[in-house]
Amino acid sequence: MGLIFVETLPGPKVFKCKLCKVDSASLDAIISKDFHGRYGRAYLFKTVVNISLGPNEDREFLTGRHTVNDIYCSSCQQILGWRYEKAYDEGQKYKEGMFILEKAMLMKAGW
Amino acid sequence: MGAEDDTGPPSKRVKGSSFVLENFLRSSSLPGSIVPLGGPMARPLPSQGKEDFIGSKGVIKRVEFIRIITKTLYSLGYEKSGKALEEESGVHLHSSAVILFRKQVLDRNWDESITTLQKIRLDGHVRNSASFLILEYKFFDLLEKGRVMDALRTLRSEIAPLNINKKRLHQLSSCIISSSQRGLIGWANLDIDNGKLQLKLLDELQKVIPPTVMIPEKRLETLVEQALSVQREACFFHNSLENALSLYTDHLCGKDQLPSKTLQILQVHEDEIWFLQFSYDGKCLASSSNDGSVIIWEVHEDGEVSFKCTLKGHQKPVVMIAWSPDGRYLLSCGMEEVVRCWDVDQAECLRVFEKHGLGLLSCVWYPDGKKFFSGVTDRSISLWDLDGNEVENWKGHQTTKNSEMAVAKDGKQIIIMCKETTILMLDWETKTAEPRLIEEDHTITSFSLSRDENFLLVNLSNQEIHLWSIASTPTLVKKYQGHTRSRFVIRSCFGGFEQSFVASGSEDSQVYIWHKQTGELVQPLAGHSGAVNCVSWNPGNPYMLASGSDDHTIRIWGLNRVNLKRKDSLSNGYVNHCNGTAN
Repeated sequence: MGLIFVETLPGPKVFKCKLCKVDSASLDAIISKDFHGRYGRAYLFKTVVNISLGPNEDREFLTGRHTVNDIYCSSCQQILGWRYEKAYDEGQKYKEGMFILEKAMLMKAGW
Repeated sequence: MGAEDDTGPPSKRVKGSSFVLENFLRSSSLPGSIVPLGGPMARPLPSQGKEDFIGSKGVIKRVEFIRIITKTLYSLGYEKSGKALEEESGVHLHSSAVILFRKQVLDRNWDESITTLQKIRLDGHVRNSASFLILEYKFFDLLEKGRVMDALRTLRSEIAPLNINKKRLHQLSSCIISSSQRGLIGWANLDIDNGKLQLKLLDELQKVIPPTVMIPEKRLETLVEQALSVQREACFFHNSLENALSLYTDHLCGKDQLPSKTLQILQVHEDEIWFLQFSYDGKCLASSSNDGSVIIWEVHEDGEVSFKCTLKGHQKPVVMIAWSPDGRYLLSCGMEEVVRCWDVDQAECLRVFEKHGLGLLSCVWYPDGKKFFSGVTDRSISLWDLDGNEVENWKGHQTTKNSEMAVAKDGKQIIIMCKETTILMLDWETKTAEPRLIEEDHTITSFSLSRDENFLLVNLSNQEIHLWSIASTPTLVKKYQGHTRSRFVIRSCFGGFEQSFVASGSEDSQVYIWHKQTGELVQPLAGHSGAVNCVSWNPGNPYMLASGSDDHTIRIWGLNRVNLKRKDSLSNGYVNHCNGTAN
């Protein structure tokens, strides 16, 4: 599938994709640990690496309506979470451009 | 007109009655030798009723236009036509005084020419400069004839009183004493009997005397050349080996001068193609696949590309290949594996380069073609020679694991990534990095160096390609967008005539071409049915582009010949038309 471009994070504490073990996000990039995804607990990150975006979709969350893109690990295509494209509620706007990674899809490395 | 006034006919035109015309003709003194055109009854009409300005924009003065055309006719040798034009238009090229002056200069009648100079209306200092020039020539003429005393007299009584250019005056006086001085101030080869000397004087006088008095040589040619130059500059898609531009139509290469049509589909690889590159002379193409194979193709004179041989040996996908400068060897690098050096003609592997316990990531030739650099998985850089020896290994300035590299300045500088978002230029001898870095906001996925080493094309993870000028302090010059990249390493390259274009692969299966300077996207090329991973523009043929894709094929792109044929026949038609009718 083409030469996949894999980025490595400086770390030392990083989250990796549980399936293929490429870096997904750095611990420093965590904004909040208080989120919930399809599979349980999820974290909000400012930046992530090695992901590809799905198409825009409108979804209803407990916090209101949002436009999101599902994100997939670029290496193994496993769905890892989603990205907030747009929030319709003023109080939720801070999430725009940020990423949700599901804890169940990740493994810790470096600690 | 025959008047001493050299600014041309009066700008006020009397329109109207023939009565006025009669008077006008009677008062002007036409030299009897000019025979009016069209028979004895027809009289040369002055520009009665004609506009002072011609051309659609009204910026070309009619009189000036006619005079430079007249000048051109004379300089091309068409004396009769020149005279006829002067007569028919009523616009004289030069006043009779100027004509006389020029003749006297050419005949070397120095003194008479100075006298005539008085008759031409000039500013005082201009007249003095012109006189100085003529007298200088007179001075050397006399010296050459051995009339030293006369020369000295000229110097004292004619040149000195002009009171200008004292420095030159001193140089001239030193010439009387020493003939070697003459050579020093530009008078070494005196072709006395040759008319060249006088022409040289006329040239110098031309610079001093205002152009309205004496029309400069080759003025029309100069204007036309300027126009062609502007057209050439404005031709964005200029991609042509031809240097001469036609005068008949404005030069503008259409986008049809760029490769836009699939000429060939090369389907020999059995898996995705990850890298390809033309050799430096453009006669060969090498491609590599994720199944570990490398294929060499031949590019024939007529532009056809044919299979030459397959090089097998790598156990891992081949991520990079590099042609030696002389085209005899090919390096290939397996992903985190080994580097193999192949003999192109014999199609055999000459040597395998490996590091125990580690993998190699890239291969880039040293300019002498006897050594090469490669990145290693432990983030170091090794320099190897073709005998298999690791000449040097260097660990500082940790490079990233995606080991893109370029060599510049004849091997003195290597360009590497030291961070995901930073490229640095390292002096290989001293191992010091230049303080100037290329810093990006997004992760860099690949980069390539232009042939003149002045530009670096940087591919970013945010689907932009940035052009950096690296001749001095690295500056971001241009951004190219439009292609897609989200997962793979997509490569781009420079190409076309004078490398004025940028081409790139894309995950949307198309090939993208941009004009380097303006950033304008030319039509994306569709055809592949998988992501286009790599592109290479033939350095020897600005019309040939190769692309390698996940769909296992290589496409050779070229000109859309159908369009070109039409254009040719159009221009032929135009030429015929011109020959047949008066234009």
